Amino acid sequence: MSIPVELYLPIAGNSVNIAAVFGLGGAVGLLSGIFGVGGGFLMTPLLIMMGIPPTVAAASDSNQIVGASTSGTLAHLRLGNVDVKMGFLLLIGGVLGGTVGVEIIKVLRQMGNADFLINVTYVLMLGLVGGYMFIESLQAMRKAKAPAKNEPEKHVKSGAFARFTASLPWQMDFKRSGVRMSPLLPLFLGGLVGVLSAIMGVGGGFIMVPVMVYLLRMPMHVVVGTSLFQILFTCINVTVMQSVSNHTVDFVLALILLIGSSLGAQIGAKVGKKLHGEQLKILLASLVLVVMFKILYELIARPDVLLAYVGGH
Amino acid sequence: MKRAAILLCILLAAAFAPMAARASGIDFTAQPGSIDIHALYNGTSLQVEGRVPEGSQVVLRFVGSSEDVRMKEKGKALGLLWMNMNTLHFGNVPKVCLIDSSAPMKDLGLAGAKLGLEGLADNISIDPPSADRKALLPELLLLKGQEGLFRQESSAVKLGEKHDGMQAFSAVLAIPSRLSPGTYSVEVFAVKDGVVQGQSAKPVDARLIGVPALMADLAFNHGAWYGILASIIAILGGLAIGLVFQSKGAH
Repeated sequence: MSIPVELYLPIAGNSVNIAAVFGLGGAVGLLSGIFGVGGGFLMTPLLIMMGIPPTVAAASDSNQIVGASTSGTLAHLRLGNVDVKMGFLLLIGGVLGGTVGVEIIKVLRQMGNADFLINVTYVLMLGLVGGYMFIESLQAMRKAKAPAKNEPEKHVKSGAFARFTASLPWQMDFKRSGVRMSPLLPLFLGGLVGVLSAIMGVGGGFIMVPVMVYLLRMPMHVVVGTSLFQILFTCINVTVMQSVSNHTVDFVLALILLIGSSLGAQIGAKVGKKLHGEQLKILLASLVLVVMFKILYELIARPDVLLAYVGGH
Repeated sequence: MKRAAILLCILLAAAFAPMAARASGIDFTAQPGSIDIHALYNGTSLQVEGRVPEGSQVVLRFVGSSEDVRMKEKGKALGLLWMNMNTLHFGNVPKVCLIDSSAPMKDLGLAGAKLGLEGLADNISIDPPSADRKALLPELLLLKGQEGLFRQESSAVKLGEKHDGMQAFSAVLAIPSRLSPGTYSVEVFAVKDGVVQGQSAKPVDARLIGVPALMADLAFNHGAWYGILASIIAILGGLAIGLVFQSKGAH
């Protein structure tokens, strides 16, 4: 007697190997739990490689991220790593920015080649963010390894940006993050990430995390939890919108992915807790750089087939 | 009155179909007559058996209904970067086209060329008309081939005994797992001296049953509820796994 391993997905119109989908969900969920990124930029292309149509892969992935980020957020809430106030402000900014981004992409498409711009944006953004994070974390780790100098930690918070943020009105405390700033700043930065993520067609977690670390000066562990909290609401919105407009959410695919990814996210949250902030940053930076090089390679190397379906990421 | 006339025409067509098949000199069966796509469906096999006039080669095709496909053509920008450029509309593209034959298609002369994938490509239209057909059609066939939806082989059809001027044939056609519901057609062609001597076709319905049918109905006819339900189940799934981990940690 053999256990069935293939399952037919009616929305995707294809059958998939349950173990492969479960494993894929687990691996991406692990990353989500460790770094607080949704994992859409990895999951969607991998699903397409498994034979899932691009539009179904992207929409179903959003659905599974709802499960993964619920599980991850819960784990981080228990650890006290979620700044709910900051998360809501970033979310409001993100929704507003996302709406603007959708309009920008419409105009770009009408003007001609939006995809080229999207790919170049990806490469530049990921290269800048990943490169900066990588070098900065490497330097910090080297300093930490240097023999017992035990200098008191300097807060490098001076500079034009810090003076500007301090001058903004309605300054308030964000206790979980241990920072004081105007709510206008997270609203504005959330909006900016929202615009970029709409243009790039992803959740934006991997841009939001560096923004929280470097511009909002939040501690890395709170950043991860808060990012997951925000992603949860963003992906609920995407799931419902895609179901209504395009009928591209494959519920069964999402269900298998989410079991794998929720388990992965739980393990990821525990692994993340054992890692130091700098180690987390350098790992995330490496991940971002790998994705950047992959996109760059796709831009330069001749594709196998010179045709692509309209509707993918 | 008009409806009665249409009904009469359909009945007459149904009654004379086997006669037409016999007139073409081809008589065949395809089993199963319909494909049930259930939750564990992972492709299936279609057993085709029949007879063609003696001395003929057999070409067997499993073809889906045609559709229009919107695609992007990849091209080089600035002499360096590959990117999606022109939008193309391919018309009259079959959803599926699986071809098998008793001899290599290239050995079947003009008929082989016409019945094969290249011949099929001749019927596909491209908009805008200025698009480079010679370059684009092979790319489309390649893409569909990679998806497992287009295939051309000469290994499944076996010729059998000859009797009364007829020759038996049989084939087991592998149907891919990537199959959407709809009506497909099994076509048998008898080819001799590079010319199609006769042809016959039978419909095969593919339909969703069980859980996939329920899901498709909910997704396509009640999208909002489907999306809300999908979100709620995802949240509950995430919470349940979170609670399981919590209880483990407590011990």
